[in-house]
Amino acid sequence: MKRLIAIVEDEAAIRDNYAAAFAREGYAVRCFANRAQAMAAFNTRLPDLAVIDISLEDEPEGGFELCRELRALSAELPIIFLTARDSELDAVSGLRLGADDFLTKDLSLAHLTARVNALFRRVEALRRPDASSEILRRGALALDAERMQAQWDGKVVLLSLTEFWIVHALARHPGHVRNRQQLMDAANVVLDDNTITSHVKRIRRKFQSIDAKFDCLQTVYGMGYRWVE
Amino acid sequence: MSLRLKLLALGLATLGLPWAGCRYAREMEAALREGEQTSLQAVAQTIAASLQGRTDLLYREPLPAADAGEEPSAAASAPEAQRTRAAPGTYDLRPLALAAAPLIDGYPDDWPRDPGAWAQFSHDAQHHFGILCGVYERMLYVLLEVHDEHPVFDAPGSNWLDPATFGDRVWIGYEDSQGEEQQVFLAASGPGALTARRIESGEYGEKRVIIEPRVRAAWQPYRDGYRVEIGVPLSMLGERFGVLVDDRAARGAPPVSYGTLRSDDLHTLGRLIVASPGLPSYLAQFMQPGLKLAVSAADGHALARVDALAQGRTLSSGAPLLARLYRRFIDRPGATSLIAAQAPIYDRDHRELIGSLEVTQTPDRWLRLRDRALTRMLNFTLGTSVAAVVLMFAFAAWLALRLARLRRASESALTRSGLVTAFPETTASDELGDVARSFSTLLARLNAYTDYLRTLAGKLAHEIRTPLTIVRSSLDNLEAEPEGEAARTYLARARQGSERLNAILLAMGAASHVEEAIGSAERVDFDLVPVLGSAVGAYRTAFPQRAFATELPAAQIMLHGAPDLIVQMLDKLIDNAVDFSAAGATISVRLQLEDGACLIEVENPGPPLPAHLQGRLFESLWQSRPDGDSRPHFGLGLYIVRLIAEFHGGEATAANLPDGSGVRMSVRLPR
Repeated sequence: MKRLIAIVEDEAAIRDNYAAAFAREGYAVRCFANRAQAMAAFNTRLPDLAVIDISLEDEPEGGFELCRELRALSAELPIIFLTARDSELDAVSGLRLGADDFLTKDLSLAHLTARVNALFRRVEALRRPDASSEILRRGALALDAERMQAQWDGKVVLLSLTEFWIVHALARHPGHVRNRQQLMDAANVVLDDNTITSHVKRIRRKFQSIDAKFDCLQTVYGMGYRWVE
Repeated sequence: MSLRLKLLALGLATLGLPWAGCRYAREMEAALREGEQTSLQAVAQTIAASLQGRTDLLYREPLPAADAGEEPSAAASAPEAQRTRAAPGTYDLRPLALAAAPLIDGYPDDWPRDPGAWAQFSHDAQHHFGILCGVYERMLYVLLEVHDEHPVFDAPGSNWLDPATFGDRVWIGYEDSQGEEQQVFLAASGPGALTARRIESGEYGEKRVIIEPRVRAAWQPYRDGYRVEIGVPLSMLGERFGVLVDDRAARGAPPVSYGTLRSDDLHTLGRLIVASPGLPSYLAQFMQPGLKLAVSAADGHALARVDALAQGRTLSSGAPLLARLYRRFIDRPGATSLIAAQAPIYDRDHRELIGSLEVTQTPDRWLRLRDRALTRMLNFTLGTSVAAVVLMFAFAAWLALRLARLRRASESALTRSGLVTAFPETTASDELGDVARSFSTLLARLNAYTDYLRTLAGKLAHEIRTPLTIVRSSLDNLEAEPEGEAARTYLARARQGSERLNAILLAMGAASHVEEAIGSAERVDFDLVPVLGSAVGAYRTAFPQRAFATELPAAQIMLHGAPDLIVQMLDKLIDNAVDFSAAGATISVRLQLEDGACLIEVENPGPPLPAHLQGRLFESLWQSRPDGDSRPHFGLGLYIVRLIAEFHGGEATAANLPDGSGVRMSVRLPR
């Protein structure tokens, strides 16, 4: 059975373009223009993945509200925020509400579908009972590429998809400096420098909340970042 | 000329008030003087009228119809006699009306110095004397100044009748009240008091000398001869009076006699024309301090004078200092201050002039009046002027202060792009307040406009993002549907265009991103030296067309701030330096400590800054780039530099290199 992706987006052209792209990838797509329509449908049947725009018609924060309601219905359902806004605050609140990723709309469709595929892979991997997937270990860090899950000292660090890919790109070759472009490529995003910087900061903070002495993620000023063991 | 000085000058203009006051005071003085003159004239006429026909008061005794035996007009008729009295003989003596009694000591010091009052009698060039007479109260005083190269004294203790003992003698001849001719002589035996003596003939023709005690006299030598001062009570005297000098070359020698007595029989030749003793006391009843009354005979000769001018003057000297000071400014120098009025005195029939009265008044009475008014007025006006000047000066100072405050506020508001709208003086209700308010409004509008411009890029980026997303996602979808070779070419071009649009979007949003990043930045303590070192290392890779020279201190420079932002700031500075320098140029990056602050300098060779951009370079949306640059620029790069510098409490400046070969951007960060 085809996986069902729900797109909640008030801009018809974008919605249809996304729907076409997902359909091409072999997904079933249902589109909604506002929160009420979407919730009505979700109550009947949950999608396998939801792509939600933050501002929905006359509700500037309708996406956040929808995310909260959807999370209440299902804890595992992957949710991707998609927005024309790119402010730090939106990203933080979106992710705190339990979204798996927060993306700006200038993302290319290829990148978007890559992300959707990755999220589905993660859902599958999480469902598989055996832990046979390959695990990248760097000291206290363990990265499960299949489940897209990071652990530090055996404790799970909740990273968004973009954050996971950044950590993965850095930790694969410890000591090597990855510049921002490389990180963006690895994370399938196009972001400006400040957004990369804030992603890195957020990653550090998440690790530091588990281990206050964490400083494996270093800034090489003017060049980029590197993972040191 | 500052506002303060202008208003001060304006305030000084009020000094015209006292000036006008002075003018007014002068006019008032003239009017007062005129009034006083009129009233004085009335007084004079009243007194003169009271004297009308009172010849007895004017003259000691009614003058007989010109007897004057020597005069050819002796037998003249009555009218002629009147005329003769009016035209007196050469031997007549006209005593002055003295203001005080002279001391009889032979010295002329206490006599009025009036050369015209002297009568001169001479015998020849060697023998002459001057005579000055005066009347004070009921005494006749005579001062004789006899020219005599060899005064000869009488032999002391001698027989007054022995001619051999005779020295220089002075004879006084007069007609007594009974009309009898009398003579006394003064014979000096040395300087000092003289005794007057008369020669009386006894019943049998014998002569004896007796002292006349009523006549007092004194003798003193002087340079050319001697002086004799004589005092005679008027009661002794009748109408006639004369003096004869016997000048002897040696004791007992025959005398040279000359004077107003006939030398052979000592008959008096001239009369004594003197006012009635009652006249001064009569006049005294009209007296007041500061007034002088003088009665003259018809020929102008003074008969009596009552003088209280000095009294008036002493009264005025007690005037306040201020008033005297003011008077000095007002009184024209040399202007006579005495006023006088004259009135003729007629005889009973009002036909004949028998004398005239002159009333003189010191100005003190009306001067005091004027002074009081003047002092008060000048005090008021000067006080007002001073107060006005002080007030105006204070007002001007206050105004200047407010203006300066306004100016400072507007200057500081303009130098910062954040445009301060909080303006001083906006609560003032006057025109300055209006100016401040309109300034404030203007700045607020400007601020809103600047804000709008600054956020425009961000807003635009946000608004464009959705349609761009539509374009790009459509292109993405189109790529998945192969449409042939030609379509692929167009697709690639459309993709290129949309990528450029995206780059523009990113650039446009850069400032707001930085502002956001600044808002969420965390400050840490870090060493600036390796941060800059590693950043410059990155630039060497990123810009292989440029050489980078660094001057970094060996010691570490700790800074409390956000290293990411510092690097971003350096990125913008380097971007700028690269854009404005030619390929192969060397860009210098320098870090040093100056006055406890970190100074980061980036120098690049290239065109100097245009003058119109000085000081605005770090504002939002200002840029000066050569045309034809394909990369999107919104004049935000240096604005970001400023934002980051200000976040660290520092400031960014740009200047041309001293030799004009390039530009130096400096960022000063306090530690």
